[in-house]
Amino acid sequence: MIFHLSHRHAPSLRWRLLGLVSIACALILGLAAQLTYRQARHEVQEMMDFNMSKMAQLMLIQAQQGADHLADLPAALSGLRGLRAGRSQMALEYRVGTAGGALLVRSPLAPDAAPSGPPGFSTITQDGHPWRSLILETGDAAYRIQVTQSVSSRDKEALEIAVKTVLPLAVLFPLLIAAIYFSVRQGLKPLESLAHEVSGRSPENLTPLAPAAIPREAQALVAAINRLMYRLSGSLENERRFTADAAHELRTPLAATRIQTQVALLTGDQEQRNHALSQAMAGLDRATRMVDQLLRLARLDPLAELARKEPVDLAGLVNDAVAGVLDTAPERRIEARIDSPATRDADPDLLHIALRNLIDNALRYSLPESTIEVVLCHQEGGLRMEVRDEGPGVPAADLPRIAERFYRGSAVQAEGSGLGLAIVARIAELHGARLELLNRDTGGFIARLCWPD
Amino acid sequence: MRILLAEDDTILGDGISAGLKLGGYAVDWVRDGEAARLALLDHAYDACVLDLGLPRRDGLSVLSEIRGRGNLLPVLILTARDTSADKISGLDAGADDYLTKPFDLPELLARLRALIRRSAGDARPVLEHGNVVLEPATRRVTCSGETVLLSAREYALLHDLLRHQNQIRTRAQLEESLYAWGEETGSNTVEVYIHHLRKKFGADFIRTIRGVGYQLGEEKS
Repeated sequence: MIFHLSHRHAPSLRWRLLGLVSIACALILGLAAQLTYRQARHEVQEMMDFNMSKMAQLMLIQAQQGADHLADLPAALSGLRGLRAGRSQMALEYRVGTAGGALLVRSPLAPDAAPSGPPGFSTITQDGHPWRSLILETGDAAYRIQVTQSVSSRDKEALEIAVKTVLPLAVLFPLLIAAIYFSVRQGLKPLESLAHEVSGRSPENLTPLAPAAIPREAQALVAAINRLMYRLSGSLENERRFTADAAHELRTPLAATRIQTQVALLTGDQEQRNHALSQAMAGLDRATRMVDQLLRLARLDPLAELARKEPVDLAGLVNDAVAGVLDTAPERRIEARIDSPATRDADPDLLHIALRNLIDNALRYSLPESTIEVVLCHQEGGLRMEVRDEGPGVPAADLPRIAERFYRGSAVQAEGSGLGLAIVARIAELHGARLELLNRDTGGFIARLCWPD
Repeated sequence: MRILLAEDDTILGDGISAGLKLGGYAVDWVRDGEAARLALLDHAYDACVLDLGLPRRDGLSVLSEIRGRGNLLPVLILTARDTSADKISGLDAGADDYLTKPFDLPELLARLRALIRRSAGDARPVLEHGNVVLEPATRRVTCSGETVLLSAREYALLHDLLRHQNQIRTRAQLEESLYAWGEETGSNTVEVYIHHLRKKFGADFIRTIRGVGYQLGEEKS
């Protein structure tokens, strides 16, 4: 079987990592920009307030020295050279007046009206825009000065500073992403080499993956794979042994058929030829039975549960099986004994096969004149459907293993497939029953299916 | 010539046994390892066909035991497994040859002939004594180039004597070589067949060593 994983639809760990890290970086970068802007605004505020207070102080000192000089101030200021142009939006406006409110001098954009309110910093509205305002008074309250500055110009400055600080970071962002991409790829290399090792293996190679080269994070995965490998190699080994055993068991009847056929071809004696041919036929029958049993087991093996399940009258099943034996072998002494009629959910065909296998074993291993009992009874432990014979039984050493596939007791000259009890055990398992095999105290053997209470 | 066949499968054993008899051998067929061991202790066989998977005592252990006793009997093992491990352990335990099931009857017979020939220290495919030539492969016997027709028992007796030239064969040995278990042996059957062979090849062909047995006579050419 080949499992093909589509690369298109499978989520890539690499791209997922890259995406998550990139989003996190972008969020952090945005947050940093926001914080920088706020910090810049705060700094600009402080700096500009400081400038405003310096200017107001200087102007008040100027006014105290003589109000006459004040009239020349605007001209003097605008006549100064060396000041950078283009920063007019950061310009400070001023208005100097008397304490009574009379205007002495003002810059062109300064408010016309006399400032109201107490001395100190405040925010006022002028022409619909917010302005930062500082009002100072001389100690004798002769002069009152107001310095103002547009709030939007201050914000603009703060934004500019923030952008200038963050911009290099934003430019470097793609580089950061690229670096992350390569780091992620490098970081996932061990996983890739692991995948390479696994995919490069031949199906027969089920040895554990070498744990030395594996990163700690992947070790749980590797451990799980190794456990799977271990189980797989176990079942593969079972499969191999089963196939070898099956081939081995088929070879003997095939060899017998071949030899008997050759004897029939070589002999000149009619009686011997007939005997050899009938023996060849018997060999073929055995091979056929073996193949049937193998197929039956192969079909039962993969079942997780019964495909068909219906209430089955076990007493009827026992009587049918016994009648079936008497039809083909009327000379045998076989009796059905129903002590406790019972019904169980079962596949009637499979259960019949199981019971028939047990009866056939009893027929095969006991003398023709002995009695075989097929009993349905309820005893301590559960419901029992059992076959009792008066044969030699099974050596104690072989008992635990005789239900294994192809296991033959060391002293048995068996003509069976070696699969009969394995099939019964499997059918019992599918029916929630146990196969119990034991020697009778009085001699003979009991094989039973037991449904626990 | 007498062969021990140890095979637990009824149909296969019956077939091999019939095939070996067709090949002119007397066959004793045992169905388990213990019986094989006892038979090998009690009787002299010319070869043994041994299945490895025998009940009660497996073929390898039987083989090791008889080799341990210094028995050099040619042994051909039959195995149902075609893995080389089985063949190697069989050959190492002292088998002379092996066949994997299923096999051909003519091949089994040919291999047995070769084994028996080599065990007699003679690799030649034909046996000769004077002007009498016996070809085991075709079971043809000629005297001075002329084909001589022999019954199965006559052939077996001649074959035994030719294989043991320069040896005296006792009547018991010859009987053992001619008959499998359970076959009727009259009190003077060996004498009867000796008589038949003398009629066909001349009175001097077989010498009677009084009180001991028989031996081929002086070679004439």
